[in-house]
Amino acid sequence: MGSLIDLLPLAYPDAVVVVGAALLGMTAGALGVFAVLRERSLVGDALAHSALPGVAVAFLVTGAKDVGTLLAGAACAGIVGALMMVGIERTSRIRPDAAIGVVLSSFFSLGIVLLTYIASTNNANQAGLEKYLFGQAAGLLERDLIVMAILSAISLTLVALLFRALKTTLFDPNFAGSVGLPVRVLEVAMTALLVVAVIVGLRTVGAILMVAMLVVPTVAARQLAGRLAVVLPVSALIGAVVGVTGALLSARAELPTGPVIVLVGFLVVMACVLLAPGRGVIWRARKLARDRRRTLTEGVMVDIETAIHAGPPPTAAELALVSGRDPRVLRRVLRRLDREGMLARDGDRLHLSEIGAAAAHAVLERRNLWSAWLEHGWQLQLPDAREPNPSDLRASLGDHYADRLQALAVKES
Amino acid sequence: MSDNLSIILTAGLVATAAGLLGPFLVLRRVALTSDAVSHAVLPGIVVIWLIFHTRAPLPVIGGAAVFAILCVLAIDALKGTNLVRGDAAIALVFPALFSVGVLGITRYASDIHLDLDSTIYGEIAFSPFETLPIAGVEIARSIVLLSGVALVNILLVVLLWKEFKATTFDPEFSRTIGISPKLLSRLLLVAVAITAVTAFESVGAILVVTLLIVPATTAYLLTDRLWLMVATTLAIGWISAVAGYWGAVSVDASIAGAMGLVAALCFAIALFVSPSYGLIARSLQRRRRSRSVQRELALAVKPQGAGADT
Amino acid sequence: MRSTAETLAAPALEVRRLTASYSSRPVLWDVDATFPMGALSAIVGPNGAGKSTLLKAALGLIATDAGQALIQGRPVKTSRDRVAYVPQRDAVDWDFPITVREVVEMGRYAQIGWVRRVQRSDQTLVADCLERVGMAAYASRQIGQLSGGQRQRVFIARALAQQAQVMVMDEPFAGVDARTEADILGLLQELRNEGRAVIVVHHDLGTVRAAFDWVLLLNVRAIAAGPVADVLTPETLRRAYGAAGGLETEEQEPRWAA
Ligand SMILES: Nc1ncnc2c1ncn2[C@@H]1O[C@H](COP(=O)(O)OP(=O)(O)OP(=O)(O)O)[C@@H](O)[C@H]1O
Ligand SMILES: [Mg+2]
Repeated sequence: MGSLIDLLPLAYPDAVVVVGAALLGMTAGALGVFAVLRERSLVGDALAHSALPGVAVAFLVTGAKDVGTLLAGAACAGIVGALMMVGIERTSRIRPDAAIGVVLSSFFSLGIVLLTYIASTNNANQAGLEKYLFGQAAGLLERDLIVMAILSAISLTLVALLFRALKTTLFDPNFAGSVGLPVRVLEVAMTALLVVAVIVGLRTVGAILMVAMLVVPTVAARQLAGRLAVVLPVSALIGAVVGVTGALLSARAELPTGPVIVLVGFLVVMACVLLAPGRGVIWRARKLARDRRRTLTEGVMVDIETAIHAGPPPTAAELALVSGRDPRVLRRVLRRLDREGMLARDGDRLHLSEIGAAAAHAVLERRNLWSAWLEHGWQLQLPDAREPNPSDLRASLGDHYADRLQALAVKES
Repeated sequence: MSDNLSIILTAGLVATAAGLLGPFLVLRRVALTSDAVSHAVLPGIVVIWLIFHTRAPLPVIGGAAVFAILCVLAIDALKGTNLVRGDAAIALVFPALFSVGVLGITRYASDIHLDLDSTIYGEIAFSPFETLPIAGVEIARSIVLLSGVALVNILLVVLLWKEFKATTFDPEFSRTIGISPKLLSRLLLVAVAITAVTAFESVGAILVVTLLIVPATTAYLLTDRLWLMVATTLAIGWISAVAGYWGAVSVDASIAGAMGLVAALCFAIALFVSPSYGLIARSLQRRRRSRSVQRELALAVKPQGAGADT
Repeated sequence: MRSTAETLAAPALEVRRLTASYSSRPVLWDVDATFPMGALSAIVGPNGAGKSTLLKAALGLIATDAGQALIQGRPVKTSRDRVAYVPQRDAVDWDFPITVREVVEMGRYAQIGWVRRVQRSDQTLVADCLERVGMAAYASRQIGQLSGGQRQRVFIARALAQQAQVMVMDEPFAGVDARTEADILGLLQELRNEGRAVIVVHHDLGTVRAAFDWVLLLNVRAIAAGPVADVLTPETLRRAYGAAGGLETEEQEPRWAA
């Protein structure tokens, strides 16, 4: 570990924080997938809160403010809390979020009561117990890194080894049970890993950062990929990248590490949610606008082409009447067609220019091809099932089959 | 008004205001919104300090409310994209807002003591000491503020009862009949934000979070009627307030903590003994069913009429 | 009722040049269709043909690329009270603490208006609707404690309670036994005889032939529409189902021909 830190071109404390953030981000990114996809995103929050009674009980029992003892108490309470969440969900109609909320409130209330009890026994030693809930990443020690590295190694190995079983359990626990997977054992194992990760994170980087780090990577990765086998590694990667970026930025700006990492993560998620290809909000909005514009333009071009075929070239007003389109919309489309050089006007009569006519023919050909597909598609023997795209059948079938379709249609007529 | 009564009344008012909204949060699977709000208000406190240099309760409540509303609306918007589930949206938004607050403090206010505990999170034991004169009588400020909030919530839930019910149960149908699920979701969440922030100042964060989640979840185990669920939630909230206070005084423990524990105890009892959904009732049902099946099988092999009197 | 000449003349649902797409390819492409009042109409087509999408677009529940849908001659935004919709698979929360009666009451909410409460007259109507679908005995049950077919009946009762002139249903017969199917069909025919329009997505061509008046054959584009006897010919059916199959050869008898 020490040599790795020396290799980084950073001051020693910064290097420790960067390595720690990378390890924690990677671990949380991988483990978080299993919490987020089961609607248990806030499990980290509940575990962080349930550490309080654990710390209090450990103090009451041992009377010592030794870090190891208190952490062990927190971890025990975390595991009890996590098992209670799972138990409440499994045995009743209560959903994960409410189960998490109940455990969080109950444990924290218990913790407060225990703290007041400790305070009333006048033990001068108790001051600052609750501060165990809020660590400081700047206070990260090389010793912590070793713990984190071991934790990461165990988590990632386990997830990789058990990937198939975990995937089945995640997708459909009942089915997983029915094919003989030890669902409960898997659940307890994953829960225990999660608890240990949260407790380690709690001590070193604080509760809030832990909550974010369990969720940010998964949500971002989910926008970019649809398969668990991809989401999982991408999530671990995003976790590490967010951790490192945040740590470097905070070192440069001399700001606390945790909040900067959280904000970097939030920005990454927002970017994915807005821009992810095929899914993102802006991506979809732009596509809708583009599709609308194209459908409209192509429709108007075909209208003009049909009208010219039927009689004298139409005026804009006539075209509106024949096609039943809103005259204002039509005027806008005509202006656009003008700009693109698709129209040739003859007084107020509308013609298509050369490229306009070519474009209209292309549209008509695509429509005819689709009609031919509906008519004769069953006669084609495609090698595989394909999802044909009506607006561009040629691309989805391939030239060979498109030509055969056209041939079939011609033969018919 | 005696201090005891004042404390119980304060907690009861929080239980009322929270109990009216909690069932809808639980049914919409966003129970943890309240916990999110409890962290997301930090930047509000910082902003108020930066602008007005004050930590006085009313401006702080105002600033906190702005960020609480920002928080719930951001959660709602993220959820509304259908790309992020409700629970994940909560876990994304509040850490970000909290972090903004922490950075604000380290940048601009590191020299003064500015954190949630010392500014907005009140302690219910001290709530009777801040009073306002109302019609010549000194009444605890928390009671005045919380009565207002509870009243607004009562009006909201009573007036928009059927709209909340329809949009919670079947949002798509509500859209087809012209009741906007988005609008009602936002209304509910803004009400939660304002209720939470006002109550934080009087009773602290954890009691508010508890009273928004635990009684409603308990009631969900006990009934199949929405109005009964709300009524049960209110009852459990008041039981927690009264019994929690009594318990805290008798063992000299934290009042908010004890009230939360009573609520948790109610939940545990319901989880086991609820007549229809409790663990005991269900295991009894299972046993009875399997026994009656066995008896029928036994009857079937006996000659006709022999076992007719059982 | 709105029995002015204008609304009587207007078709129940008219779709003009409707184009809609999800992620990349159009699901509906330049669809024109009309459904008359006083008729039991079916929308027929293979899985993935866009039937559900057509209904959602007609109800303004999804954004479309082009075209418009008119309910009795008016855009759907201004005629929400004229159309009732029973979706394909209700994405509702079956554990919700709500009774069958309350679910059906929701059908009245649009007429009752914001803030106002459910009146006695609404409750009588609700009881009536439950009676009509044969669910009166279950009025006080929690909605999740019903079978799939019973749930379907409840949602049809809710649509009935809306007293809309146009009823739109997405596969109301999916996962329903023969008895329930016959009951529901009888009910829909009653509604038709009252002069309303009932538009149903349905997969069983036998039932459509036997019991429906009007049909739209859909596969991304509208393939044929009109009276059942004119539309359901081997020729049009092959166009609707054959192409989507893609793999089917001439020797194989397509499923619908059986
Ligand atoms: N939310 C969605 N996102 C992306 N694609 C979708 C979505 N909903 C439907 N589709 C696609 O749109 C096409 C049409 O879907 P639709 O539900 O309208 O079909 P349908 O005719 O109702 O089929 P079925 O008979 O199976 O109900 C399908 O190819 C489907 O994959
Ligand atoms: Mg469908």
